[in-house]
Amino acid sequence: MSSVLACDRLTVRYGGKTAVDRVTLDVPAGRMVGVIGANGAGKSTLINALAGWSRGRPEVEGEVVLGGEPVSGLSAYRRAHRGLLLVPEGKGIFGGLTVEENMALVRTPADTRDRHAFGEDEIFALFPRLRERLHHKGTALSGGERQMLAISCALRAAPRVLLLDEPSVGLAPRLVLELLKRMRQLVDLGLSILLVEQNVRAALSVVDDVYLLERGTVVAHGPAEEMREDKRVVEAYLGRSDIEIAEPGSPHP
Amino acid sequence: MILVQQFINGLVLGSGYALIALGWTVLLGAARLVNFAHGQLYMLGAFVAWFVMEQAGVPYFVSIPVSVLAVALLGAFMQASMTRLVMEQNLTSLMIVTLGFGYMLTGGAAILFGGAPQTLDSPLQGMAVRTGGVWFTLQDVLILACALVLFAAVWLVLNRTRIGAMVRAIAEDPKLAQLFGINAPLVYLGIFVFEAATVALAATLVAPRTPILTSMGFEEVILTFMIVVLGGIGSVGGSLAAGFGLGMFTAFFGTFVSPAYTTAAAFGFVLVLLSVRPKGLARR
Amino acid sequence: MKDRRERSFRAARAALPFATLALLFFVPEIAGGGSIVYSTCVTIAIFAVMAYGADAILSYLGEVSLGHTIFWAGGGYAAALLSTRLAWDGWLTALAAVVVGVSLAAILGLATLRTREFVFSLVTYAAAIVAFEIVFNWQFLGGSDGVVGIPLLTLTSPVGDFTGGSNEELWPVAYALLALSILFIHRFRRSRLGQEALMAQMNPDLAMGLGVNIQKVRLMVFVLSAVPTALAGWLYAFQRAYVGPDMFEAYFLVFMLTAIILPGRRVLFGPVLGTAIVIVQQTFFSIGGDGDKIILGTLLVLVLIVWPSGLIGAFRFALRRLHR
Ligand SMILES: Nc1ncnc2c1ncn2[C@@H]1O[C@H](COP(=O)(O)OP(=O)(O)OP(=O)(O)O)[C@@H](O)[C@H]1O
Ligand SMILES: [Mg+2]
Repeated sequence: MSSVLACDRLTVRYGGKTAVDRVTLDVPAGRMVGVIGANGAGKSTLINALAGWSRGRPEVEGEVVLGGEPVSGLSAYRRAHRGLLLVPEGKGIFGGLTVEENMALVRTPADTRDRHAFGEDEIFALFPRLRERLHHKGTALSGGERQMLAISCALRAAPRVLLLDEPSVGLAPRLVLELLKRMRQLVDLGLSILLVEQNVRAALSVVDDVYLLERGTVVAHGPAEEMREDKRVVEAYLGRSDIEIAEPGSPHP
Repeated sequence: MILVQQFINGLVLGSGYALIALGWTVLLGAARLVNFAHGQLYMLGAFVAWFVMEQAGVPYFVSIPVSVLAVALLGAFMQASMTRLVMEQNLTSLMIVTLGFGYMLTGGAAILFGGAPQTLDSPLQGMAVRTGGVWFTLQDVLILACALVLFAAVWLVLNRTRIGAMVRAIAEDPKLAQLFGINAPLVYLGIFVFEAATVALAATLVAPRTPILTSMGFEEVILTFMIVVLGGIGSVGGSLAAGFGLGMFTAFFGTFVSPAYTTAAAFGFVLVLLSVRPKGLARR
Repeated sequence: MKDRRERSFRAARAALPFATLALLFFVPEIAGGGSIVYSTCVTIAIFAVMAYGADAILSYLGEVSLGHTIFWAGGGYAAALLSTRLAWDGWLTALAAVVVGVSLAAILGLATLRTREFVFSLVTYAAAIVAFEIVFNWQFLGGSDGVVGIPLLTLTSPVGDFTGGSNEELWPVAYALLALSILFIHRFRRSRLGQEALMAQMNPDLAMGLGVNIQKVRLMVFVLSAVPTALAGWLYAFQRAYVGPDMFEAYFLVFMLTAIILPGRRVLFGPVLGTAIVIVQQTFFSIGGDGDKIILGTLLVLVLIVWPSGLIGAFRFALRRLHR
């Protein structure tokens, strides 16, 4: 199985503090891979480093390979051009721009061999609400609508692999699974997704592979069915009552 | 009659002010950048045009694009050297750096062009229209026309095109813009070059009305600042209106009260306004 | 045992600024005396004091005040007008300079109370240019000619009277002013106000949560910062025996910023060091007025772009490298 995105011993430090420690990870083509872990485990730091992006000023070491080519030296916008698209944690759209303008910001690349750029119709089929909101400013959208818009923008850019950092934050528990299922449908159509999710039970029901992150290192990794049985995962995430698990993690700045 | 004449003067002054402020409006409002060398770029715009007319003997209308190009290049150089500060949105350092650039330009221009006052000769400045007791020059007409056309164009680009959306996106969140595949440093470069180019253009159009000195530029920064604040920081239409308002005020206050204290009076007004509304007249 | 050594080391460290300060007094003599040395040293002291005012704003509030030339000129004009027209002596004119500086700062501070960042800088900048225009046009203040014929600085005291004719005679006064300014900044850094200002700059939300009244802190710091700058202007008037609208020139503004930034922000002796470097260059290695402008502007730009923590930052960096 060919890998679309992989990293080898990726290390990220903030100042002297190591937030991600020698993480090796692989997203096979056409698969959905989940990253789970407690608050502050380094999930966002990892996924941001894969995209070459950060709100802070981290030092990143280690190789990131996209479709067989190293992209470690490239800045975030170049990685986006090559099909590595990140929907970051929290604010992922421009509040001062309308839904239409947000989507028009993304330019569909000319060369889309082995990539699929989602057209407007496909996006509206996926998120019908956005069509009604086309001329509203980003600030006027609900939290869920913002997530949908952010994902839509990424899809328009013809992703090879889509990196989603807690797309379910702010969504009603019932909608979380719905959103993740729709993402799963995209994977079944050929997209590859790396998903960071606090909502472990929901995540485990849609992903193929899972990485469990603790204090910046991968402590367990395997197919979702196996990981559902893994002692650490069960103890930390699945052992408690449903309500607690359905509660989305607090949004991080 | 004097009222009509002052109205015309105000209109012309105002369109000149608005032109000078246009680049900054975009820079400050859309990209949240400041450029304290703005006034010195104005000075340079006028002097480069004067220099090529004097030295190479090119006609006025050829000197305009030469000057715009030269100052735009300088702007590109300035912005390129500040890219890191811009991406970090380190406004404090940026202000000081541009102030330093302005000071370098003052010194450099004095060495290059000498300290004597000069005049930038436009053929249109000598062509006056007199009707019904009022008069104005064709240069005045040119300034007014350019102001209106440029403001309309900038408004359209900012609000109706993808480039405009990109500029507004960058202003809101340059980091996030990268995830949308936007090369933020390049867009910043474009905005800065635009600012430099428009202020140079404004200089070549407005400067023929008065003698030029390499020490000038401060007045222009203050005018620009007042216009940007009065117009609501970043609002293109607001800046045009504020430009005209300030022009009218200068014309009438200068004629009927005191020409020496017009800037002071206008500034007093802006100061009071700012203590009430620290973000200017903008609604947002 | 270790504790005691630690403590004496700390005490030595705490005493270091005072020792340095005391040493500064002898700098002109060590440099060989002579009228050019004394005039350079007096100028450095005056300009450094001027810069310390702006330093309080830039280093501790994190804002760029471009209006400090107003307080500088305010102090100078107070000294000039009152000594020529009312024959006030040094003490009274100094007091007047402080009053003028503080009043102007209070007005400008209140007007900019709610402004931040570039709006704050622009308003202070505009205020300085407008103040220049008023001074330039107002005959009562001497208009474009300024005020000439300022008498020698006289300070009467029970111990004896002092008259500052030459720069050598002015040096003790200039030094005293510099020492006071440095002690002032030293105290300010440790004071509650200084701490609150720093907190308001670094983390306004936290500061507010801890009950700091940010607007009040900003206003207080702004008003206080006018005192050294106005007193510098006061002495400058007596040193030159003349004041004019040129005190508003951008030169002083760029100078203050360079003097603070070149050595590195938040360094107690930074502004003196920065001032000394620039003044020595302009006095002994000048390449002409316009060339010096280019040098000054370039210094400012280069430091901020290449090494924002300044010379002292670079020095500390090098030390750390050596230690490893
Ligand atoms: N910009 C930053 N500067 C300094 N440290 C940071 C920064 N961002 C994150 N960290 C630190 O890195 C570690 C990992 O943070 P990260 O945001 O990656 O966690 P996370 O797993 O995404 O948590 P959450 O589930 O709450 O989103 C944390 O200890 C955090 O404090
Ligand atoms: Mg996170």
